Amino acid sequence: MVVKKLNLRLFRQIKSTKGQFISITLMVIIALAIFISMNMVSDNLSVSLETFYEMTNFPDLFTEVVRIPQSAIEGLESIPGVSKAQGRVRTDVLFKVDNQNEKVRVRLISIPEEENILNENYIIEGEKHPEKINEVAVLQQFATARNIKVGDRITPVIAGKEYNFFVSGIIANPEYIYLMENEMNLLPAPDKFGILYISEEMAQNILGYQASFNEVVIKLDDYENSNLEEVIEDVEDYLEPYGLIRTIKKDNQLSNSIMNQELNQLDSMSVSITILFLGVAGVIIYIMLMRLVNNDRISIGVLKAIGYSNFEVLLHYLKYAVLIGIAGSVIGIILSIPIAAGFTNLYIMYMNIPILETQLHYRYFFYGFTLTIVFCIIAGYFGTRKVLKIMPSDSMKPEAPEVGGRIWIEKISLFWKKLTFSWKMVFRNMFRNKKRAIILVLGISLTYGITMVPLYMSLIWNTLFDVQYKVFQTMDYNVVFSKPFNENIIKDISKIVDSEHIEPKIEYPFELQNGWKKKTINVIALKRDTKVYNFRENEETPIFLEEKGIILSEIVAKNLNAKKGDIITLNNYLPGKDDITVKISGITEQYLGSNAYIDIDYFRSLLGEKDLVTGVYINSEDDVIEKLQDIKYIGKVESNRDMMDTFMEYMDLIIYSVGVMMIFGAILGFAIVYNVTIININERSLEISSLRVLGFEKKDVYSMISKENSIMTILGILLGIPVGRAMCGGIISSVSEDLMTIPLLIEPSTYLYTAIATVIFVVIAQLATMKKIYQIDFMDALKSRTS
Amino acid sequence: MILKVENISKFYQMGEVKVTALNNVSLEIYDGEFIVILGPSGSGKSTLLNIIGGMDHPSEGKIFVSGKEITKFDDKELTLYRRNHIGFVFQFFNLMANLTARENVELATELTDDALDIDEILNEVGLGDRTDHFPSQMSGGEQQRVAIARAIAKNPVLLLCDEPTGSLDFKTGIKILALLKKVNEVHKKTIIVITHNIAIGEMATRVLKMRSGEIVEDIKNENPMDPERIEW
Repeated sequence: MVVKKLNLRLFRQIKSTKGQFISITLMVIIALAIFISMNMVSDNLSVSLETFYEMTNFPDLFTEVVRIPQSAIEGLESIPGVSKAQGRVRTDVLFKVDNQNEKVRVRLISIPEEENILNENYIIEGEKHPEKINEVAVLQQFATARNIKVGDRITPVIAGKEYNFFVSGIIANPEYIYLMENEMNLLPAPDKFGILYISEEMAQNILGYQASFNEVVIKLDDYENSNLEEVIEDVEDYLEPYGLIRTIKKDNQLSNSIMNQELNQLDSMSVSITILFLGVAGVIIYIMLMRLVNNDRISIGVLKAIGYSNFEVLLHYLKYAVLIGIAGSVIGIILSIPIAAGFTNLYIMYMNIPILETQLHYRYFFYGFTLTIVFCIIAGYFGTRKVLKIMPSDSMKPEAPEVGGRIWIEKISLFWKKLTFSWKMVFRNMFRNKKRAIILVLGISLTYGITMVPLYMSLIWNTLFDVQYKVFQTMDYNVVFSKPFNENIIKDISKIVDSEHIEPKIEYPFELQNGWKKKTINVIALKRDTKVYNFRENEETPIFLEEKGIILSEIVAKNLNAKKGDIITLNNYLPGKDDITVKISGITEQYLGSNAYIDIDYFRSLLGEKDLVTGVYINSEDDVIEKLQDIKYIGKVESNRDMMDTFMEYMDLIIYSVGVMMIFGAILGFAIVYNVTIININERSLEISSLRVLGFEKKDVYSMISKENSIMTILGILLGIPVGRAMCGGIISSVSEDLMTIPLLIEPSTYLYTAIATVIFVVIAQLATMKKIYQIDFMDALKSRTS
Repeated sequence: MILKVENISKFYQMGEVKVTALNNVSLEIYDGEFIVILGPSGSGKSTLLNIIGGMDHPSEGKIFVSGKEITKFDDKELTLYRRNHIGFVFQFFNLMANLTARENVELATELTDDALDIDEILNEVGLGDRTDHFPSQMSGGEQQRVAIARAIAKNPVLLLCDEPTGSLDFKTGIKILALLKKVNEVHKKTIIVITHNIAIGEMATRVLKMRSGEIVEDIKNENPMDPERIEW
C-alpha cells in the first residue's frame, strides 16, 4: 500500500511527539474504558435486576403487623390497586455455631408451598421450597459464607430452644440481593447474618403464630401509578386493626434501595470521569495542535504553495487529533471488556443476582467511539483552524516577535529588584502566555482535586465510624427484648451481667409526618441524662433531650424538610393508640441511620404506658452476648465492637478503590504537566537556544522551566483545595441517601498528603520532559528556519 | 505568450498608512524564457512573484495565464492553479523535515496526474544516490536541489524561484543556477528568478529591474552567459 506522503509526515510527527501522543491517548483510553464499562455494567445490573424481580415476583409493599389472621389476607386483594397479598411469619433468632464466642443471627421467614407466589425463591441447588416441616431453604450468601450444603443439618435457636433443620435447598431471593440485617449495618456480613426459609406450618407453630402472620407482602396492579399513595393508605387502613407497625415501599426496601443507589453511582461515575478525562484530553489536544500549527507555519505555507488545498492541510493536522481518538477508543473499547467483567464479578460477589453476568452491549462501543471521535475533531478543529488563515506568501516571513513588556508584578519594585535574572524570566514568561499558564494551573488543581477524593474517602470512613461509635453512641451493647417489659426487668439483667452502666430504652417504629412529607423510622426514647448518646448540632454545640420535644437525626430532618421548632406528627402503629404531635427541639448530627430521640418519661406519658421498656443499653467489660443470648426474653444483643470489626474487613475494598482513583489522578497530573511543559519548551526553543548561546547551561534552562512549573504547582494546589472540596462534596452527595450522611470533614492531613502526591506527579512529569530540553540543539534552532 | 500581467497594484494598510507594494505593473512572459527580476529588498519583487504564483491577491489589475484570468479565481481554483501550473523554489529550501528527499518530491507529485519520473528527476538534479536522506542529513545545496526537483517533478508551466541562491555559498549557488539553466533548456520550462544579486541577471534571457513597486527596466539579453562563468 502506498502511504500518502502527507500521512507519512503525520506518522513521523506522531513518532517524534510520542510522549505527548501516548499521554493524551491514555486519558482518552481511561475516559472511554470507564464510559463503556460502567454503562455496560449498569445496564447488565439494571436489566438483570429487573428480570430477577419479574421472575421472582418481587413485592411492591412490605408491611409489618402485630398479628393478622390468615383469613384476613384475602380481603386485602379486594382493595382497588392491590393485585396479590401474601402473609408470612418473620422473626430474627440466634443460630447455633461451633464457636461459642461467635454470634450469628438468622431471620426465619415462612414461605407458602404453592406455586406462583410473591417473593419467590430462585434455586441455586436442591429444592426451591422446604417441602417437609423440618426442611429449610438457605439464602446462598449465608450458605456460602458458613459453608452450608444441601443435606446439612443446621440449628437455629428460637427462644432458647434448639431446632434441627435439614437443608433442602440453597436459594437466592430478591429481597436479600444485598444481605444486611438493617440499615444500621452499612455493610453486609453474610457469615454473621443469614436468611432461612421454612414452611408456613413450621413457622407458625414454633413462633407462636397459629393460623396467622406478622407480615404481609403485597403486589400492586401498577407500582408506577400516580395514586400509589392512596392505595398504600387504603392498605394501611385495612391493616390498622391488626396492629400495623410499618409499611415499606419497594423503593425503600433495604436491598433494593442499595441496588438503586449503586446504579445511580455507576451512572454518575461514568459521566463524571468521562467528562473530566475527555475534557482534559480535549484541552491538551487543543493547545498542542495550536502550538504545532504555529511551529509549522512555514510548512503550511509551502504545502499550500505546492498546491495542497486549505482543507487538505487542515485535515492533515486534524488527523493527529483523530488518530488520538481512534487509538484511544480502540484500546479503551478493548480494555472496557475486562473492566466490565471485573466490576460485574465484584457485584456478583457482594450482591446476589444469580442471573447477573457480563454481557457486552455493542451499542456502547459505538457510542463511545462516536463520542470520542467527535470530541477529538472539535478539539482538533479549534486547535488547527488557524491553518486556514495562514497565507502561503506571509508564512515565509518570520512571525512578528511576541509583545514583550513590563508586567504588573514589576511595579512591586522592592520585590522585583530582589529577583535574580532567571526568576525575572520566569515571571515574565508566566504573564506573557497567560492562556497556557491558566491551563497548567487549572490542570494541576484538577489533579489535586481528583487525588484528594480518594484520600478523603479513605479517611472519612474511619472518621464516620469513630464519630458514630465512639462519640455519638457510646454503648457497648444494644439489647432488644423479645417484647415490651416493665422497667423492673433491668434489675434482673443487672444481676446476670456485670455492667458499668445500664439504661432503659423504648424503640418503636413511627411514621413521622411534617406537612405532606412522611418517613417511617425508629423513635428511640432515652433517659434525659442518657450516657450512651451524645447529641450535637455540630462539633462545638452539644444538644440535650428536653422535657418535651424530639430530636431528629439530620437525614430525617432533611427527608421531612423539618427544622428546629417545627411541630411534627408521630403516626402511631400501636393498636389502640392515638397519633402524637411533638415539637422538634433539635437536629443532631448522625452519620449512620435515621432516628428520632425523645425523653423516655415524656414518651411514656404520650403513649400512656408507665414504666415501659423495649430494651437496654449496656456498657460492660463482661461477656454480655454469651450471658444474655440464650435468655428467653432477650430478642437480640448487638455489640458496637462487632459492627466496627465488620467495617474494618471492608477497608481492603476501600483501599483498592482509593488506589485506582490515585492512579487516575497521577495520569491526569502527568499528562497535563508533561504536555504543557513540552509545549512550553517547543514554543520557546529559540529563546532557550539564545540563552544557551549566552552561556546558560542546560541545567540552568531546565531549572528555569522547573521554577516556572513550581510556581504554577503552588498556585494549582491553592486553587485545587476548593476544587477538591467541591469534588468530594459531589461524591458524597451521590453517596448519601437515606442510609447515611457523609460529612465534608476534611482533615488537614488530607490536604497535606494530597499536596505531596500532586507534587510527586508534577516532578515525575517534569523529569520526563528533561530529555527534551537536553536535546535542543541550540545552533540548529537558531539557524534553521525549516520546520 | 504564457503569462500576461495587466496593471497590477498591491496596497497594504498598515495602521493609518497605505503602503504601496506594487504600483501598476504590466508585463508579458513568453514560453521558454528565463527571467531574472532584480531589485533591492522592498522593491516589490516578492509580492509580484507571489501574485503570479497564485499565493497572493493583487489589489488591482489582472493576470492571464494561458488565456485564463487567474485574478478572478477563488481559493479553490487558485489551489488547482498552483497545483498544476506552478513550481516554487524558496530561499530557505523549505523541505519537510521529517520526509526524505524522495518523499519530499513525492509530496508534490502525488497531487498531479502528469508528474515526471521521480528517479529521473532526482538523477538529473544530481541526487540519485541520496534519495533516502532526510533534509537534516544534507547540505544546503543538496536541499535546494531537492526543492528544485520537487518543483519541476509536477511538470509545471512556470517555475518561480525566490532568491534560490540566497542562503547558499558562491560555489553551490553557481551549481544551482546551472541546474536551473538546464531545467530551462532541457525541460523547456519558463523560469522566473527573483534576486537582489545583479550578477545572476547575466544568465537570463530577460532582466526586469524593479524599484519601489515598479518595473523600471525591461532588458532583453541576446547572449545569456553560461552560469559557470558568473562571478560575484
